Amino acid sequence: MAKKILFVDDSASMRQVLQLSMKGAGYEVETATDGKLGLEMTLKQRYDAIVSDVNMPNMNGIEMLKNIKAGTLNKFTPVVMLTTESGDDMKQQGKAAGAKVWIVKPFKPEQLLMVLKKLIG
Amino acid sequence: MNTELINANYEKDAKPYWDHRFQRRAIKLLPGDFYATNQDEVIVTVLGSCISVCLFDTVIKAGGMNHFMLPKSKAASESSTSSLVMQDSQIARYGNVAMELLINELIKLGGSRMNMVAKIFGGGQVTSSSIDVGMKNIEFAREYLKLEDMPVIKSDVGGLNPRKIYYIPLLNEVYVKLIQRINNNTIFSRERDYELQLESKTTDDNIFFLEGND
Repeated sequence: MAKKILFVDDSASMRQVLQLSMKGAGYEVETATDGKLGLEMTLKQRYDAIVSDVNMPNMNGIEMLKNIKAGTLNKFTPVVMLTTESGDDMKQQGKAAGAKVWIVKPFKPEQLLMVLKKLIG
Repeated sequence: MNTELINANYEKDAKPYWDHRFQRRAIKLLPGDFYATNQDEVIVTVLGSCISVCLFDTVIKAGGMNHFMLPKSKAASESSTSSLVMQDSQIARYGNVAMELLINELIKLGGSRMNMVAKIFGGGQVTSSSIDVGMKNIEFAREYLKLEDMPVIKSDVGGLNPRKIYYIPLLNEVYVKLIQRINNNTIFSRERDYELQLESKTTDDNIFFLEGND
């Protein structure tokens, strides 16, 4: 069965581009447009991996991640942050919240696929 | 909304200066820079084949501008899809990031994607070799803004001359000055330097494994 990934990003073009490449690599992909909606989805269903932007309206990616880790269903789901933020303090925040990997934009979709393969196969 | 300017990326060495003509504090952008503000300032840049998008949030009355180009596509990396935004090659990602950085600045000032409108400038055919580049930049900006559902309310693009752009975010007003093609090597060499910088980024140094959090 295809591995299921939740992709959270407020940019429509980013969602379109990455959905295409992740589906092309054989993953099943669901998307959310901000951290609040992403969190709601993780409360209903278990994912094999979560990929998320950081700067988003309503709830940012770090807050979403903290809430996901505080719950049960996706407590152990590996999370990849995908962001324009490159500062060490932000990376530390991501690490403290429980992120596995921090990818700084601009990135190549192949880089994300490489990371996902490493994390979940 | 009285958030002060929070974060921006512009010519670090160049201090903001007082522009006598516009009677405002002026911030000058170089290729790769972006800046957003809710203060009464003027953002200035010079465009050859590069593009600047001025984004304005109609509710919080704040605006910003970026200055970017897409790297030249190599024949081998031409994608089968005709869409520039959808190409997963070298090409689109720098444009995506330039736009996202600007949008994020406006969101930090309290803005919302739903309320943003855009103006597009630049993409000139300023040297014989830059025809393709300028056109691609224009095409990318239009397509990106369409995907993000941000209306383009004005554009002044293409043509043979470089442009000097003055943007007053508080009024969402832009003044465009066409520049003579001769004697303007600075513009071209800056854009070329920027382009080379984009092309040289090929490593995985943007990936960080955050160990030890299990």
